[in-house]
Amino acid sequence: MKLLLLIFLVQAVLLTIYLPASQGTVQPMDARLIEQTCKQTPLYNLCVSILKSDSRSSKADVTGLALIMVDVLKAKATGTRNYITRLLRGNLKRDVRHGLSSCADVYNAVLEADVPVAIEALQKGNPKFAEQAANDAAIEASSCERSFSGHSPLTKSNKSMQDVSSVAAAIVRLLL
Amino acid sequence: MGGSSTIPSHTRISTTTSDLEHAAYAPLPGHSSPASPRRPLKGFAGIIASVIFLLALVALILDQSEEPLDKPGKDEAPTLTSNATSFSNISGPEPRGVAQGVSAKSNPSFSGHELSYNWTNAMFSWQRTAFHFQPEKNWMNDPDGPLYHKGWYHLFYQYNPDSAVWGNITWGHAVSTDLIHWLYLPIAMVPDSWFDWNGVWTGSATILPDGQIVVLYTGDTDNYVQVQNLAYPANLSDPLLLDWVKYSGNPVLVPPTGIAPKDFRDPTTAWLGPDGKWRLTIGSKVNTTGISLVYTTTNFTDYELLDTVLHAVPGTGMWECVDFYPVSINGTKGLDTSAGGPGVKHVLKASLDNTKLDYYALGTYFAENDTWVPDDPEQDVGIGLRYDYGRYYASKTFYDPVKERRILWGWINETDTENDDLAKGWASVQTIPRTVLYDNNTGTNILQWPVEELESLRLNSTDFDGVVVKPGSVVELDIASATQLDILVEFEIESLGLEETNEVNGLCGSGATDRSSFGPFGLLVIADETLSELTPIYFRLANSSDGSLETYFCADERRSSKASDVFKQVYGSSVPVLDGETLSMRILVDHSIVESFAQGGRRVITSRLYPTEAIYGAARLFLFNNATGVNVKATLKIWQLNYAFIHPFPLDQMH
Repeated sequence: MKLLLLIFLVQAVLLTIYLPASQGTVQPMDARLIEQTCKQTPLYNLCVSILKSDSRSSKADVTGLALIMVDVLKAKATGTRNYITRLLRGNLKRDVRHGLSSCADVYNAVLEADVPVAIEALQKGNPKFAEQAANDAAIEASSCERSFSGHSPLTKSNKSMQDVSSVAAAIVRLLL
Repeated sequence: MGGSSTIPSHTRISTTTSDLEHAAYAPLPGHSSPASPRRPLKGFAGIIASVIFLLALVALILDQSEEPLDKPGKDEAPTLTSNATSFSNISGPEPRGVAQGVSAKSNPSFSGHELSYNWTNAMFSWQRTAFHFQPEKNWMNDPDGPLYHKGWYHLFYQYNPDSAVWGNITWGHAVSTDLIHWLYLPIAMVPDSWFDWNGVWTGSATILPDGQIVVLYTGDTDNYVQVQNLAYPANLSDPLLLDWVKYSGNPVLVPPTGIAPKDFRDPTTAWLGPDGKWRLTIGSKVNTTGISLVYTTTNFTDYELLDTVLHAVPGTGMWECVDFYPVSINGTKGLDTSAGGPGVKHVLKASLDNTKLDYYALGTYFAENDTWVPDDPEQDVGIGLRYDYGRYYASKTFYDPVKERRILWGWINETDTENDDLAKGWASVQTIPRTVLYDNNTGTNILQWPVEELESLRLNSTDFDGVVVKPGSVVELDIASATQLDILVEFEIESLGLEETNEVNGLCGSGATDRSSFGPFGLLVIADETLSELTPIYFRLANSSDGSLETYFCADERRSSKASDVFKQVYGSSVPVLDGETLSMRILVDHSIVESFAQGGRRVITSRLYPTEAIYGAARLFLFNNATGVNVKATLKIWQLNYAFIHPFPLDQMH
């Protein structure tokens, strides 16, 4: 009897620990919202992978998912801008330096304008300004890419910015 | 989402265990304790069961790890057009067509080979308008609370005092005696209370019969809830209305049941009902149906929400900046917002959040039950006519009691990038205020026309009489300067008797290079000598399927600038042309903004242009005829327009 009681208690303890975790697999409502939302963006896989790797997404509504995507946009823009700064310290040909300077301007604009506007608009419930900002971020990235007459050292970063911006804009569109 | 807490396995485990427990302890009635050989068996069964459940639990835990996300072959969302993945092609979000609502900054015109444009200060400075209202710097959006008081027209506007992008919204303020020469005043309202902590948003003014001014505006609270607040002038005897007081009991309206806290904004001017109570309307949405809520009040502090809405249109989404006002059927003058009765129709207008377009419809207002019905349900709000077929939003009217006019303001956003806006330090202009009258010739639309006070800016004029433009040709108009103009033009077409080339694609085609028998023809504004940059404003006639002649009025921005990162769209609409009418246009050219009016204001198109070559003295004006089957004869009167010299009000000189 004591053995049975002991086993029961052990099980009860283990279950209490794992109860919250097991809820996730049985009721994936949060995952369904992510999937449904991402289906309406141009890059489903990218959208899902970004959202699922952010722990906030499990408790987020569509506005929350949009804000997560804007955060990622901000992180990428910050990373690219820092990379540009590092590149500019090197010995560069004039046209490359010129292109990088344009790109620095452009990524500054993304960080000073597009990101704050998108966040404010989403928080305050005026999503059209967030859509405009997300679309603008994509245009700024193209603008940067085009500022190199020869090879661009930022193609991957610009493409990434484009992609995340287009996903963000599409998520915001769902709020309109 | 994830709210359910039933874990069947958990329940089963505990029940089974306790059942076992129970079975083991409860003495069976009428039986002594079971024979000793059974006891070890039961215990053994219990242990086996427990081990099985333990293993099941372990399996459950291991299964918790993230499922692989790869679904091979499902990269693209099926509902969207495929996105080019190669960067050298068209990059960026695939813009949707005009019918679906092109979002503000999606740019369809990447060639992938143009270098990103290097703007100079000269180019940016040139973009500032000469006679359109805009603050000295930073961001502006919706016009607010326009009114007339003690000799001054007042304009308030959504304003960011800190940056050239939207945010930190306050009510900017300016006054004018003539709607053209504006003087900047200090900011009227800032977000300084919990009920507008996150923004002093759009609102309207109501002038009461005793002269009192009541302003209702949307505040975004410190908890991000949209509410309506009451404000009034601190000193009604001040013609400049410098100081404003916010009612201590704000908010006076909060989102009602069934309306989301972020779908409740932009209250209208109030009007009097037959019961002596005031009414006002606020746009919102329920699912995807745009609606207009109605509130009644006697004192502007206490309100009653009506059960019925003023009107609703499915599929139109959130209605922002709703406007509701009467127009006189005889079409000669404007009416006070409370006017009604026979001989009056009502215009209901909404700014559609999901397409950033302003729609209006004419209809009948039933004051007894505060409902409105469109004259033509197929041209209902959100699906029918637009005030302006170009870049235009958040418009609002007010009644001018001095000249008995209904006057319309509209916000014109930039169509360049945020980077450009930050660099030049400003963004957005307002249109020249327009009078609004019912078009009693067509009976289906209103007419908009720049206020007559604009004519005070006219300097010298040049007349051109009967200029003939042959098919496929361009004629330069010799005028001193081409960046600040008021152009009146009439066109006559003369068929050359050639076989018709029939284009079935209606509207404006893909721009002015799309040739057809009877068009396009019109003017090329802000064009340089070599036509490397130009903006055609034109008519295009086409035989429609039922044999009648349709006229389209269009503006083609695609070659307005060599810069690749500005939005360059083809705008337009069909325009009714009645028997015996000549084709006519009025075009206001003011640097980076062009307002074009067809057939006396039956259709209007506002464009934003950011040329790199066609600036200052290099800008020219041309007539063009790209039709294949007609000669075009144009008669024009062109005025140079002076600057309005908008500047700060000299407040310090008042004492």
